[in-house]
Amino acid sequence: MENKNKLVEDMELSNMYDFKDEESEEHFVREKEGITEEIVRRISEEKNDPEWMRDFRLKCLEIYNKTPMPNWGPSIEGLDMDKIATYVRSKSDMKGDWKDVPKDIKNTFERLGIPQAERESLAGVGAQYDSELVYHNVKDEVAEQGVVYTDMESALKGPYADMVKEYFMKLVPPTDHKFAALHGAVWSGGSFVYVPKGVKVDIPLQSYFRLNAAGAGQFEHTLIIVDEGADLHFIEGCSAPKYNVANLHAGCVELFVKKDAKLRYSTVENWSKNMYNLNTKRAKVEENGVMEWVSGSFGSHVSYLYPMTILKGANSTMNYTGITFSGKGQNLDTGAKVIHQGPNTSSIINAKSIAKDGGIGTFRSSVTVLKNAKKAKSTVDCQSLMLDSISRSDTIPGIDVRTNDADIGHEAKIGRISDEAVFYLMSRGLSEENARATIVSGFADPVSKELPLEYAVEMNNLIKLEMDGNM
Amino acid sequence: MEINMKVNVLPAATYNWLKMNEGEIKEKNIVITNTKTPEIRGISDGVSLKKVSFDEVEKIMTPYFDEAKEKYQDVSKSNGDMYYKNEAQVIKTGLGIESDKMFRKLGVETQVITIEENKKIKRPLIISFEQKNKEGFATSQLIHAKANSEIIVIMEYNSEVNDEGFNAITTRVLADEGAKVTLVKVQLLGNKVIHIDDIGSYCKDKSKFKLIQMEIGAQKTWTGAYTTLLGDESIFENKVGYFQKDNQKLDMNYISDHRAKKTRADMVYRGILKDSANKVWRGTIDFHRGSSGSVGDEQEDTLILGEDIVNRTIPLILCQEEDVDGRHGASIGQLGEEELFYMQSRGISKERAEEMMIKARLDSIAREIPSKEIAGKIEGRLPLASGAQQ
Repeated sequence: MENKNKLVEDMELSNMYDFKDEESEEHFVREKEGITEEIVRRISEEKNDPEWMRDFRLKCLEIYNKTPMPNWGPSIEGLDMDKIATYVRSKSDMKGDWKDVPKDIKNTFERLGIPQAERESLAGVGAQYDSELVYHNVKDEVAEQGVVYTDMESALKGPYADMVKEYFMKLVPPTDHKFAALHGAVWSGGSFVYVPKGVKVDIPLQSYFRLNAAGAGQFEHTLIIVDEGADLHFIEGCSAPKYNVANLHAGCVELFVKKDAKLRYSTVENWSKNMYNLNTKRAKVEENGVMEWVSGSFGSHVSYLYPMTILKGANSTMNYTGITFSGKGQNLDTGAKVIHQGPNTSSIINAKSIAKDGGIGTFRSSVTVLKNAKKAKSTVDCQSLMLDSISRSDTIPGIDVRTNDADIGHEAKIGRISDEAVFYLMSRGLSEENARATIVSGFADPVSKELPLEYAVEMNNLIKLEMDGNM
Repeated sequence: MEINMKVNVLPAATYNWLKMNEGEIKEKNIVITNTKTPEIRGISDGVSLKKVSFDEVEKIMTPYFDEAKEKYQDVSKSNGDMYYKNEAQVIKTGLGIESDKMFRKLGVETQVITIEENKKIKRPLIISFEQKNKEGFATSQLIHAKANSEIIVIMEYNSEVNDEGFNAITTRVLADEGAKVTLVKVQLLGNKVIHIDDIGSYCKDKSKFKLIQMEIGAQKTWTGAYTTLLGDESIFENKVGYFQKDNQKLDMNYISDHRAKKTRADMVYRGILKDSANKVWRGTIDFHRGSSGSVGDEQEDTLILGEDIVNRTIPLILCQEEDVDGRHGASIGQLGEEELFYMQSRGISKERAEEMMIKARLDSIAREIPSKEIAGKIEGRLPLASGAQQ
């Protein structure tokens, strides 16, 4: 049994992403470790920023230096910013054709299945390797509809420059928290998406983020504007090989869902278990708009991840479905935040978490209903499964209601796998191991059915592997 | 006297901007006129009374404190852990160690009420705080129910509706093996009174602590209870009802700390907020490692009737034990349109319907009070409170 456990530990899903193609240092530009004005200025020069962006970066650095570390989440004592390189890029430019991408980078993404997924089921793909996008492509028929899907740097200088300036870090201001300020100072890469009025993109767009360099940070910025009556599904995937030094991901996602528009944002996060994932995601939804979040968190050593939705317009809605699987050495603090600002707004938060092998899983949420949000409705449902008594599973949901005309419900349950259910399945011929894995898969089912098929299969494989290790 | 302290600390902190991590008491010009517990009525054979200093109370509680530390087996702490702030408090209370410091500084003597082993006292002990305008009370009690004893203690705080003043109470409970303690606190203070009510308890094997509270009066109230379920099969039952109107403020913190096997917590909070009332409710069930077979349930139900109310709710479950069953639920809303329509179709006005809903909610808690006379006083205060007779 011990050997089997060892074997399974070695096969953890995050390790399926743990491959490092030999990289020659001479093919990469790497900023020195730490965060100083000199480094920020060099990143800005390297990227040929417009003046306003350079000034903005420097302002963010000032805010970063003044802002204290958060005092409520997982410990980030192991993260030494003086040992993090904030900028690493390949000397090759971004390519629009897959065959032009440098061989070592191409190998990495091919092993992750990115070009294959693009051929089969995506409207466009962006692939970021360390600090910069190495490949970006959008299908002709989608581009012909007027959909803009490009890297942030191009957007900053191209025909949408004014739009970027209008929206960039307006939803997540650098004063929001220390790592939002850090992001503002050293951001690099990420995608800009604009879906014009009335355009419905039938198949998803996807960005894939790979942080391959040891001791580095990734700070991509994703800005999506779904204009009136438009519809988009955006998928984000993340992975990294495992190193013995800390890596940092402090990305920022800003989503603007206009009147009558709909956006689904799906994430499957599989960062390696040396990663500090301090990511900020926020959406603002106008009248009748719909925002859907689907989130699977499996990787990282430490995560702070709570997508926030501001339901600004009347009748706007938000739906969050998330699962977090915390295993050995992981402290994943995840959940969602919603602010009901407009009348008749509604939100549903549905979260599941599983903790095992000493992992710490925390569901943290906030539901805020402001005075003008008459007839707001919100439901939060959080379920946690404990697989042993060395792990920890905490639920910390805050609710703040400032109107007399709202209907707010919250439910949370925590428990273990029922012996009766295991016995029932065993009496039907399943081994105990399979019975427990089946129950956990069933527990995660409401989340996996919201994911695109390939991701759902991947998530179920993860659960099976993790559960084998539990026996 | 000036009071400036942080109380009602949430065991695991969350986003600072929610302003729920702790409560703050900042009051000036507090005058204390009385530091003695009023005369206790209904004393039966098997109940003994003694007055001791705050330090002597801590000596009585130290073996329980040591046992609680011994039973702590957690291998990790919650993110944003704030237990450390009250780590040195010998009996944990809802408000925390700052509250102890205030009572000690005031030189408050503690009324110790001891119930002999195996004595099952049916007749409730009643402590009435009849507070006059501008009076300031600061008192302390320790109820020590020895093995297999039973006791009911009812504390009522009364003053005229428009009175001002200060009322600070700390009540600690030790329930030894098999003991059953029911503590009832009914607060009907004047609408300009500052009120602090702090409760802490240790429950040994197969013991039960039942806490019933009604918070109706006072301008500002900070209250809370921390129960450490120290012994196997010990039980914490907590029922709190409140009605807050005008610009009343109510800040609460309830914690059920499970450190032994097959413990049980059943916590219910039911209240009404009207006008510009402001409430924070914190509720925590903490299943520590080693609390296998334990169950915990906390339910909060708030009826909101005011345009300018502030309702903040944070129900925590912290868990480091696989074999537990924990759940919490919160429901915050106004009077249902269907309920209102039904009542109006039977000739009942909206105001009257609201009045009925307020009473129904509070009655579900008040019916647990084992004194019709005291429960009746609540009802007597409600029509005034909801404005029907004004």
